[in-house]
Amino acid sequence: MTLAPPAPAPARTKAPAARPRRRGRAAPYLFVLPALLLFAAFKLYPIGWSFVMSLHRTVAGVDTYVGADNYTRMLDDPLMWTALRNTGVILAVQVPLMLALATALAVALNSTLLRGRSLFRLGFFLPMVTGLVAYGIVFSVLLNKDYGLVNWLLGQLGIDPVPWLTDGLWARISLGLALTWHYTGYNAVLLLARLQTIPHELYDAASVDGAGAFAAFRHVTLPGLRPALLLTTVLSTIGTLQLFDEPYVLTGGGPDNATLTIGVYLYRNAFTYFDFGYASALAYALTVLIGLLGLLQFRLLGEKP
Amino acid sequence: MRDDREPERRPGRRGVLLMGAGTLGSLGLAACSGSGGGGDAGAAGDPRKGRITVWSWQGPAAELKALVPEFNKTYPDIQVTVEDIGNPAIWDKITAGMAAGGRGLADVLHIGVDYLPGYVERFPGGLADLAPLGATTHKDAFAPGLWGTVSPDGKRVNALPWEANSAGFYYRADLFERAGVDVEALQTWDETIEAGKKLKAKTGAYLLGIDKPASQPDAANFFQMLLQLQGAFYFDLEGRITLDSPAAVRAMTLIKTMNDAGLVSDLAGGWNALMSSLKRGTAAVLPWPTWFGGVIEEQVPAEAGKWKVRLPPAVRRGGPTAATVNSTHLAIAGSSKHRAAAWSFVEFALTRPASQVRIYRGKGIAPALMKAYDDAAFHQPSAFFSGQRKGETFLAALKAPSPAVNYTSDYARALKLVTDAQSKVLLKGADPAKVLRAAADDLARQTGRKAAR
Repeated sequence: MTLAPPAPAPARTKAPAARPRRRGRAAPYLFVLPALLLFAAFKLYPIGWSFVMSLHRTVAGVDTYVGADNYTRMLDDPLMWTALRNTGVILAVQVPLMLALATALAVALNSTLLRGRSLFRLGFFLPMVTGLVAYGIVFSVLLNKDYGLVNWLLGQLGIDPVPWLTDGLWARISLGLALTWHYTGYNAVLLLARLQTIPHELYDAASVDGAGAFAAFRHVTLPGLRPALLLTTVLSTIGTLQLFDEPYVLTGGGPDNATLTIGVYLYRNAFTYFDFGYASALAYALTVLIGLLGLLQFRLLGEKP
Repeated sequence: MRDDREPERRPGRRGVLLMGAGTLGSLGLAACSGSGGGGDAGAAGDPRKGRITVWSWQGPAAELKALVPEFNKTYPDIQVTVEDIGNPAIWDKITAGMAAGGRGLADVLHIGVDYLPGYVERFPGGLADLAPLGATTHKDAFAPGLWGTVSPDGKRVNALPWEANSAGFYYRADLFERAGVDVEALQTWDETIEAGKKLKAKTGAYLLGIDKPASQPDAANFFQMLLQLQGAFYFDLEGRITLDSPAAVRAMTLIKTMNDAGLVSDLAGGWNALMSSLKRGTAAVLPWPTWFGGVIEEQVPAEAGKWKVRLPPAVRRGGPTAATVNSTHLAIAGSSKHRAAAWSFVEFALTRPASQVRIYRGKGIAPALMKAYDDAAFHQPSAFFSGQRKGETFLAALKAPSPAVNYTSDYARALKLVTDAQSKVLLKGADPAKVLRAAADDLARQTGRKAAR
């Protein structure tokens, strides 16, 4: 048997498999096309069109190009600053309180000492599935100064009725309470999911090193929760900046604009004053603000390289 | 930050083209759906045939619904659906429909005087011109001054008047009697405030109620009435801002005086609070217009004979006590394909005295149609209002000269600023002149209008 001499390497340089067929390359795009079309029609188009609108002002039914007028008008609009300040207060006070509460709740719900954990988890998450407007109305009934259940209960304890929704400061507190009730459970569940991925060995090691419960929480739980904390912080920030339903239903932004948010102000400009140009400009300013704050939070809380 | 670019998967030229074409296609699609509708939907349709929808709210909606069987005796082939959208929800719903070029709007729309100029100005063609349908023939049928509201230029007719409400002064006669006050003799609001002090001391009842934190825009109704009793408003006829006119400062100062004297109960919570207060008898006076009489009768039927009604006292001695404080109208959407059939319904409801009499008997809604007042319903003594002829009281007000009121398309903005200013006065004791001046400045900034000073 002689071995055939090795065949010379083919001289052809064209290899059929080296280059995918054109039809194959187009396929993925065909698959994403329907989603893309829907996105373009229902998201991209309104987003783009609202930018065009933000450069116009309607005078006697005619859209007039006014350049950046709607944007410069914002700087000189005291109500816009009131709305921004109100949103800032909620962001600075309610969001940290709620996230602290959610973290405590997540740790408690994760504890093996707690019986019926799934029942509690469900209970705390349930407010999240309640319709925004429905719970807004329930709160406004509960918190009514003269006929509300809360003031009736306080009355039984000999406490004077609290102007929950009719005094500027109390209206802000009520709004904060409603938001906390609605979103704490949701954030707790997000944090809980992360909590369950922290390896138990870390706690064992910490206790061997002599760490107490608080030290273990500080040096093991919190660093472990970091990505989830970032997520909940960013989500809550976006949610707060876009806040609309609760103040709209609870207080209508009042009294005297004490609970006016950018969302409510934007809505009012568009649908009560028919000033779609200014409302669009407000929406764009809001988007930029959310982007900047999100970026800042990623920088501060994100993984260090 | 993650880098999302993945160069090896960048689409080829053809892919990009495809994507571009897709995007363009859908943009075109969206653009098509955006236009269209618009002002003119071609022919007005058959005046005796079609299917029309009517949007209204609460009481008026119920009355329109009750009118349909009678309407169908004359127009058996027009199918009418009356929808109670609720108030203030109806304004947002109409706005959204108008902004969408008339898509989804009902054929017949019930619109208040506060919103009519805004819709007309912001959405030209959003409301059909009723003149070609024959509206002009009814020009003189309505209360004086109202034609100017529905047809500012005298040619185009944007709507037909339905309700004409005059400022009223409903009061608990039994409470005032106990306080030893003769209400009929009160000539000015200053006298009324003094009477209110007596009333509060003797009976514990407040003089009247105001939604102090302004949970609803109508929290400024009382302020607005005091303004209109002086022939003033938020804008003058040229459209300049008059929020801080001497008349406005005078009106707000009266309110502050009442509040500082402890005569004003808080109706925080809007309509529901007003109804509870009515049932509890918290306040002795309800300074509400014509239509509110029907609400009182319905809410506290057991108090028949305890209530009376008169026109409000004047702001200055010898000044007017009559003012048409608001009107509502039926308009037809410009996008309606059954405009002729819709007009048949509007004409039937608003220009036929029998329809208006029926509506007045049902809910006490006072017609703008003057001929309707020939009916006995407006001249009978009312058992509820202690045998008074309530209909005649308001008819006299309607016939009195009422200065034209310019709501402009910026009324909603002005109203918001006024309610905020009023909250500052009532809750924080702010100075009326100062807050009204600030409100006028804000309104000038928001609208580009000039303040008349």
